[in-house]
Amino acid sequence: MKLSTSPYLVQKEILDNMKTSNLLLLSFVSRNMKKLIKSSQIERFKNISHIMYKNRRFGPKVTVPGKYSLDTIMEFTESRKKTKNNYFQLNVSGKVIDFRLFKNCNYPEASFHPSDKESVIETIHNYFLDFFGDTVEYQWETYYDEKFIPNLPNLTLSISVGRVYFEITELEDLESFFASSPIFNHVESVRLMLYSNTVPIFLRHFQGRQAFLRCNECAILDLIEFINRWKSGEEYQMLEHLIIILLSNGIPQNQILNANVVKLIDATKTPPTHTLPKVLKSAYSLSTDPITSHSYVVRETDNRVASVSVQGKSFCFGVWKETEEEFLRMVT
Amino acid sequence: MSSTEQGTSSAAPAEPTTAPESAAAPEVPESFYYVHGKDKVVHKVSAGALQHSALIHGMISNLGYTEEQAKANPFPFENIDGDILQMVVDWCNQHKGKPTPPEDTNLPKQKEKLFDLVLAVNYLEIKELLTYCCKQVAMMVKGKSPEEIREIWMIPTDAEDEAAEKEAKKRAGKEAAGETAAAAGDAK
Repeated sequence: MKLSTSPYLVQKEILDNMKTSNLLLLSFVSRNMKKLIKSSQIERFKNISHIMYKNRRFGPKVTVPGKYSLDTIMEFTESRKKTKNNYFQLNVSGKVIDFRLFKNCNYPEASFHPSDKESVIETIHNYFLDFFGDTVEYQWETYYDEKFIPNLPNLTLSISVGRVYFEITELEDLESFFASSPIFNHVESVRLMLYSNTVPIFLRHFQGRQAFLRCNECAILDLIEFINRWKSGEEYQMLEHLIIILLSNGIPQNQILNANVVKLIDATKTPPTHTLPKVLKSAYSLSTDPITSHSYVVRETDNRVASVSVQGKSFCFGVWKETEEEFLRMVT
Repeated sequence: MSSTEQGTSSAAPAEPTTAPESAAAPEVPESFYYVHGKDKVVHKVSAGALQHSALIHGMISNLGYTEEQAKANPFPFENIDGDILQMVVDWCNQHKGKPTPPEDTNLPKQKEKLFDLVLAVNYLEIKELLTYCCKQVAMMVKGKSPEEIREIWMIPTDAEDEAAEKEAKKRAGKEAAGETAAAAGDAK
């Protein structure tokens, strides 16, 4: 059977039953094949909410959310070897790149010399943009100790600090990283595990949109200070959503209420629920955790509102695009 | 599995054998139809089994043939090899009146046979079997490099595609020129 001359229904049925990583490999076979995949898989590609580059020490792993789990479509790996067995070369938009396939893996690994890293990743990223479409959101997730972030179109940056066996003990490191890293200045979403009291350090430097922190320590005064700085309108203009989970004790709600920093909605009424599309999407969670709270604060500079919820061990802060007047109209 | 005899022609089919039906006997006597492929071997298949094929179901739904008429007029599928049609008939019989399972492991393992089955099933419009077959075809390239995929699915290179496109354009141009000349001749 010649796939290219088979009836369209047959072609589509075969392509529909292929994993995304295999479709990607098939697209390299010929230009016509790539065209066929793109035209027959429009719906499938439209449903890809995001493509994630998960950066590792030697190069990122690229995943798309599959039906039941994340589907890895490619890996990038640095290699200084001159002779490469089991590799095949592909011409990706005019650039010849070495690839290989592992026996039990269903996806290709692109190999490059460290000096060629940025150029290879950029070439393949542009290929993705053409193949999957530029409406798909591309995310680059990195760890704070990885300094490499490529400058790519359509890319959202996020950072994750605190791997399972990774502990930040060097406070100075983190402080200098937050303060000086050009990466951090562009990070829109952060998921952090802070083992020591680094919440204030983080809050001093974060300029992104969404942050999810887990920490062992967090002083109530730091949270009050954060709220006051947000209210003043001088900082956190980009902030949309902040969650801090304290792993040790609960956060005393009364201390925040007693500090006169929040306003309260009548207890007999129902406040609106705050939720947003996540910047850093996971396979199963595309939206931020909903916040429904009777407490809110108002920013002095533009009268915009943020819902503030303190419950048990979590502090949640969700910024509305509505002004106080508009926000109160949503109370039922 | 239905057994068959070599037929002589579509107009005078050989005495066919009956495919075994499902264990539960139908309450109403079932009507049967006859099909044959390239090898002229005639297969007797119940209307219930043929329901899987949207093409044949559409053909027989308004025929109202008697048993004799059906026997005398088997449906010829000259574009389908006999052994492939046999597989299709077997599948339709096995899945007659039953919900189709999520997977079918009894499909041919040989590449060529599977491809022929895909084309036959597509022609006969048997949706579920087409899905099973295409799943298996898709599995063939799992973990293969683009060059290996090209070989398995006989995909032309860009250069071959370009040459074929050029050739097709040239042919179309010649045909158009021929038509214009013929039209001019007619006008005279």
